[in-house]
Amino acid sequence: MNDRITFEDVSKFYGEILGVNRVNLSIPPGITSLVGPNGSGKTTLMNLMTGLVRPSRGQIQVLGYRTDDSENLFKIVGYSTQFDAFPKGLTGFEFLYSYLRLSGQDSSMCERLAWRAIERVNLTEAAHRKVASYSKGMRQRIRLSQALAHDPKVLVLDEPLNGLDPLARAEMIALFRAAAAEGCYVIISSHILHEVDIISDQVVMLSNGYVVAEGNIQSVRGEIQEHPTQIMIRCTRPRELAAKMLESNYAIEISIHKDEHGLLLKTRDTDRFYLAMNGMAMNGIEIESIAPADDDALSVYEYLIGNEEVAR
Amino acid sequence: MNRLWWAQVKAVIRLEFKKTLFARRGLWIYVLAALPVFLFIAFAVAFGTQQHRAEALARRSEKLLTYRDLISIKTGMSKDTVLSLLGKPPVADHWVEERPTGPGSTEKIEHQMYHYSDGQNDLYVNFSNNKVDNVSLTGFDDPARSSIMFAGIFQFFFLRLAVFFGCLGIFMNLFRGEVLDRSLHFYFLAPVRREVLMAGKFIAGLLATCTIFVTSEILQTCAFLWHFTARQQDLYLYHNHGLEHAAIYIGVTVLACIGYGAFFLVAGMVFRNPIAPAAIALIWEGINPFLPNILKQISIIYYLKSLCPVDVPVDPGTPPILALLISNGEPVSAPFAILGILLVAAIALYISSIQVRRMEVNYTTE
Repeated sequence: MNDRITFEDVSKFYGEILGVNRVNLSIPPGITSLVGPNGSGKTTLMNLMTGLVRPSRGQIQVLGYRTDDSENLFKIVGYSTQFDAFPKGLTGFEFLYSYLRLSGQDSSMCERLAWRAIERVNLTEAAHRKVASYSKGMRQRIRLSQALAHDPKVLVLDEPLNGLDPLARAEMIALFRAAAAEGCYVIISSHILHEVDIISDQVVMLSNGYVVAEGNIQSVRGEIQEHPTQIMIRCTRPRELAAKMLESNYAIEISIHKDEHGLLLKTRDTDRFYLAMNGMAMNGIEIESIAPADDDALSVYEYLIGNEEVAR
Repeated sequence: MNRLWWAQVKAVIRLEFKKTLFARRGLWIYVLAALPVFLFIAFAVAFGTQQHRAEALARRSEKLLTYRDLISIKTGMSKDTVLSLLGKPPVADHWVEERPTGPGSTEKIEHQMYHYSDGQNDLYVNFSNNKVDNVSLTGFDDPARSSIMFAGIFQFFFLRLAVFFGCLGIFMNLFRGEVLDRSLHFYFLAPVRREVLMAGKFIAGLLATCTIFVTSEILQTCAFLWHFTARQQDLYLYHNHGLEHAAIYIGVTVLACIGYGAFFLVAGMVFRNPIAPAAIALIWEGINPFLPNILKQISIIYYLKSLCPVDVPVDPGTPPILALLISNGEPVSAPFAILGILLVAAIALYISSIQVRRMEVNYTTE
């Protein structure tokens, strides 16, 4: 498929060390987060996607391009790596300008694109300073600008929010969202799971080099049968509601919230539970809100991989 | 090569040339290139001092002497004959030797040393009991004769050590240096064919090495000719193939940079430790004269030596092994030598192009 990023039975071994194993993915447009603890294979997957490393087995295609076709691949791909090294002696502007010149474009065009990319990441004032003198956050931003500079269709961003202050994080997230809204493929790796919830349209969960789940977080959660769904209900008479719920057999465990204005309920049959809730609401219990409590990335990841991995 | 590739090659050259030429870790290459220049400057200074002294000596002579006068003095001549031919010496020394002739008896021998000069050559005449015992004529060489010294330094220091190690330092680091600096991904993330990137880096390295070593070669020639008179320089450059030789030396230097550059480029990609390939290449190039003809051709020095315009003569007393090193037993024709170097370089570049496609960014983020 030429409109997807596809991994077909891809494995990568560094000598005897496993990078990723038997990965099959088909990534659509939008923001896709690669989620997993350090060493789970996120960066390897990104390096494979951009041809920086070659798969030991399997095939990868990025919108129809082979990853060893760097000349064409990087016309549509921008990769912001975690590698914190830059060619020596260059200023921020020179770094971007030189990178753009490598594509063979003329000087004035490269200059214009470089300034535009610098402005997008708010580094205009520091553009003529040596990259070596940049703070961690500034280096992160100049890397992001390198990935964005040539308006790629595919943005691969390895831990893009690392080192950024809250304001810059919000700006960058807005930038990624805008790119995704324009039909870009934005692949982000992160081990900070609450960030993933905010950003992602879909997730790829990795553990020890294996893909353990992929897709929309809610649908991934829905497929996890062994863990009952947790639902938080804010209401006026939680104890009365809890008793009725237990009578109806849809809830298998209920705990009352400390403030006595809500309860946390576990059910294995979410659809029938919601139907029952409608009936109970009509019986005079004032219900303020009903919301799933464990369909976020952190919970899904805990269910799939376990607490130890998440804590790492 | 299409226009896009050429634009990309130029972009790589712009980045790499500056970086390579002004790299702090490459300072030793400049020292290596400058050493023969300093050697010729030191030689010129020493020569100049010696010539000034000889001229002063000639002025102090009783007669205005010529080279013909100096060589007319032979062993066995009497002191009076010498004095009549050359006049009173500007510098003279004498001492008496008591030579034992038997138990308890000695013979007194009177020694004298006269020092003459025509301003270009020094003549030392030693007398024993008023007879010429020994004559020593020290001449200040003309450029044509000094060119043998130049050829020796060019072949045995400049080519085999300076250019060899200079190319090692520059070309081996073109990719390996990026891996050590963890900056290779900068290039690998650009929309450039890896082969184009390699070509750009090679040309940048070639321009840098040629700038350094051709400049050194030109300065060496200038320093070498500095102490000669304008007439001698003119004679050497325009009537004794001096200019032609200088151009050939520059050409050989460029070919050496191409050959060694291509070899060390591929070595830098294949080997992690540069010491092993450098040592192997140095030994291989060193033992080249002892190798069978077919193996000789798989080297760079073999062709370079064939192109050198001046042969370094082997003294009759030189040990055979050393003589083999100095002489070029079976030189090949210039076109064949140039083709040979270009072929060796082309093979090395072809291997590099395969290697660069296989390269991975394996350095970590830690």
